[in-house]
Amino acid sequence: MTDLAFVCLNRRVALRRLPVFAFTAMALAGISLTTTVTPSRAEGLKDIAARGYATAVTEDDFKPFEFMEDGVSKGYDNDLLAEVRKHVPFKINQQILPWSGILPGVTTGKYDIAVTAVLVTEVRKPTFEFSSPVAQSTTFYATKAGAKIADLNGKTVGAQAGSAMLAELKVFDTELKAKGGAGLKKIVEYPSNPEAYQDLALGRTDAVVNTEINLRSLLKEKPGVFELGTAVSKPVYIAWAMQKGNTEFAKAINDAILAVRKSGKMYELQEKWFGVSFKEMAETIK
Amino acid sequence: MTTYDYFSIAYGALATVSLSLVSIALGVPLGLGLALVRWSRLPILNQLTMGYVSIVRTCPSVTLVLLIFYALPVVGISMEPLSAAILTLTLSTAAFNTEIWRSALANFPRDQYDAALSVGMRRGLRFRRIVLPQIIRSSLPALVNEMTLQIKSTPAVAVIGIVEITRAAIRVGARTYDPLPPFVVALVLYSLIVFVFVKTQRTIERRYAQAGAPV
Amino acid sequence: MNEFAIVWQHRDLILLGFENTLIIVALGATGALALGILLTIPLMSPRPGIAALGAAYVDAMRCIPFLLFVYLLYFGFPTFGIQFDNWWAGVIALVLYNAAYMAELLRAAWKNLPKEAVEAGHAFGFSGWGLFRRIIIPPVLYSSLPLIGNQLVQIVKDSAFLTVIAVAELTHEATSLQTTYFVPFASFVAAVILYWVTCMTIETGVAFANRLAEERR
Repeated sequence: MTDLAFVCLNRRVALRRLPVFAFTAMALAGISLTTTVTPSRAEGLKDIAARGYATAVTEDDFKPFEFMEDGVSKGYDNDLLAEVRKHVPFKINQQILPWSGILPGVTTGKYDIAVTAVLVTEVRKPTFEFSSPVAQSTTFYATKAGAKIADLNGKTVGAQAGSAMLAELKVFDTELKAKGGAGLKKIVEYPSNPEAYQDLALGRTDAVVNTEINLRSLLKEKPGVFELGTAVSKPVYIAWAMQKGNTEFAKAINDAILAVRKSGKMYELQEKWFGVSFKEMAETIK
Repeated sequence: MTTYDYFSIAYGALATVSLSLVSIALGVPLGLGLALVRWSRLPILNQLTMGYVSIVRTCPSVTLVLLIFYALPVVGISMEPLSAAILTLTLSTAAFNTEIWRSALANFPRDQYDAALSVGMRRGLRFRRIVLPQIIRSSLPALVNEMTLQIKSTPAVAVIGIVEITRAAIRVGARTYDPLPPFVVALVLYSLIVFVFVKTQRTIERRYAQAGAPV
Repeated sequence: MNEFAIVWQHRDLILLGFENTLIIVALGATGALALGILLTIPLMSPRPGIAALGAAYVDAMRCIPFLLFVYLLYFGFPTFGIQFDNWWAGVIALVLYNAAYMAELLRAAWKNLPKEAVEAGHAFGFSGWGLFRRIIIPPVLYSSLPLIGNQLVQIVKDSAFLTVIAVAELTHEATSLQTTYFVPFASFVAAVILYWVTCMTIETGVAFANRLAEERR
């Protein structure tokens, strides 16, 4: 009798060989999962059309723009993406990632577009092709309710690492020092905003900076815990980011966004998630 | 904590266990392969293996997973978070397993080897029938110990967004601003998983300690 | 690659992170070893209750992953009113966690200590703390040097987990650099090289100390 036949017929032997079979099965599963290297490099509209789909990447926790609820990605950007999907000739697959992977993912061509709230700053313009603006915001700071601080001099302030709000905070710090103030005592960088808010509630930091939209959403969610301070930056546009030079794909996306805007659906969504709508936004980012 | 919260943490536990099992299943044979490369002293591969083991053994899992996920796309290798997680965990455990297998091979009694040679066994047969069963038995305790350690380093993949048990607990805590209950749940689940592994380790050690136990 | 040029330009960030890592590891390792030495006493105690308490602590630390422990200490403890800033939470987590592992490996070495040495110590009038400090600890430490070195390398690797509570150590600074300047490959390769250098130095140092210990034995 062959080995295999012997094993199949004799149950005791089979049981003893079970660990080996289980091991091999897991190894094969692992190999197949590791080698699903989807060729998701952003290579222009033609390749997307050939592939049939574009890849979008979204942050996992940035209320009210995007957040996870019961395992589903929700928020303003997700609703807007659903509308945009109706106006583009290709499918859009979405991946959820922490913030630190999103912009590098777009610059290295891993993802075609970052469908997430990216503030349009001068530093980012040379590296990214920005879509038509999806929102507008100013960076504010928030403190614990009842803190009543006069300004940010001598305070410990938290911000998300790699965010434009952090960069704006640093600029604000220089402005404070130029006006003769002490400047900020310390800037703490968090991997994501929920941790920054938790530390603020615990009193480890005196303030946290984020866009006005995010902070207002936070106040609504946790009434009585935090309160809004003053602005630390000028208003900036918020848009979706794509790889620089990917102009044909950007045009397709922009046409879709403007179509959603013309139909009034975008302002509806803005009212739903932010409580305000930005009708005066420019149509393109210069 | 809502029912969905409990479910999400349990689902995270499932992700943790599956990731660990898959990376163990891949890492143990890979470690054996690399140990054989070192043992047979193939010219360039030997040095490469030494370098790989040296670097990966001293690299924190967090940094390694960040390197594989964010940095490799720059040189053209792009992958999903799940693939990057499996690859990182496998490479990490394989590096340690290489050393374990290597010490078992080094401590293999020379006389058995010579006896096999004297009977005229070819290399493949000798390895499969004489060497392999015995080094499996002698390195099993260390391998299972390494598996337990491996489970405890799976949270490292949370930084690239894999929702395993730690990240699931953190998410619930960040939403409810009451982090203690989800952490306690995560702790209980983790201890259960580790307990199962340690129990298996003790059982295997006891079984294989019996002289002449069948493989 | 001009990625490396950008990293070199901002090397002060990476070096700051590296410095922080070294300080945290030094503090954590010293604390863990000291606490571990003290912890071996209850572990080896003839009284079953105390030994069980010690074993429970060691088992608890061996079951929990370090990341979860750090989060527990940093975000969970404030519920009990105990609050640390992130730097101290990191150091304390390292100390408490690794003290258990140190105690376990020191206990194994203690068990293998020849009974004659302890009996000779008793005969010469050593007892209690004196016996512990002068007769038991030195050979235990010398014989477990390689394992202590291993644990030290583990502490270096565990320090990278502290990036999630925003401690400005090496991995955190490398991430900060790559998200601001989009240089993921160069910054993480730099971090990996620095970790490798640190661990190699520790291993060489331990090998050297081991040789000294061999001569002494």
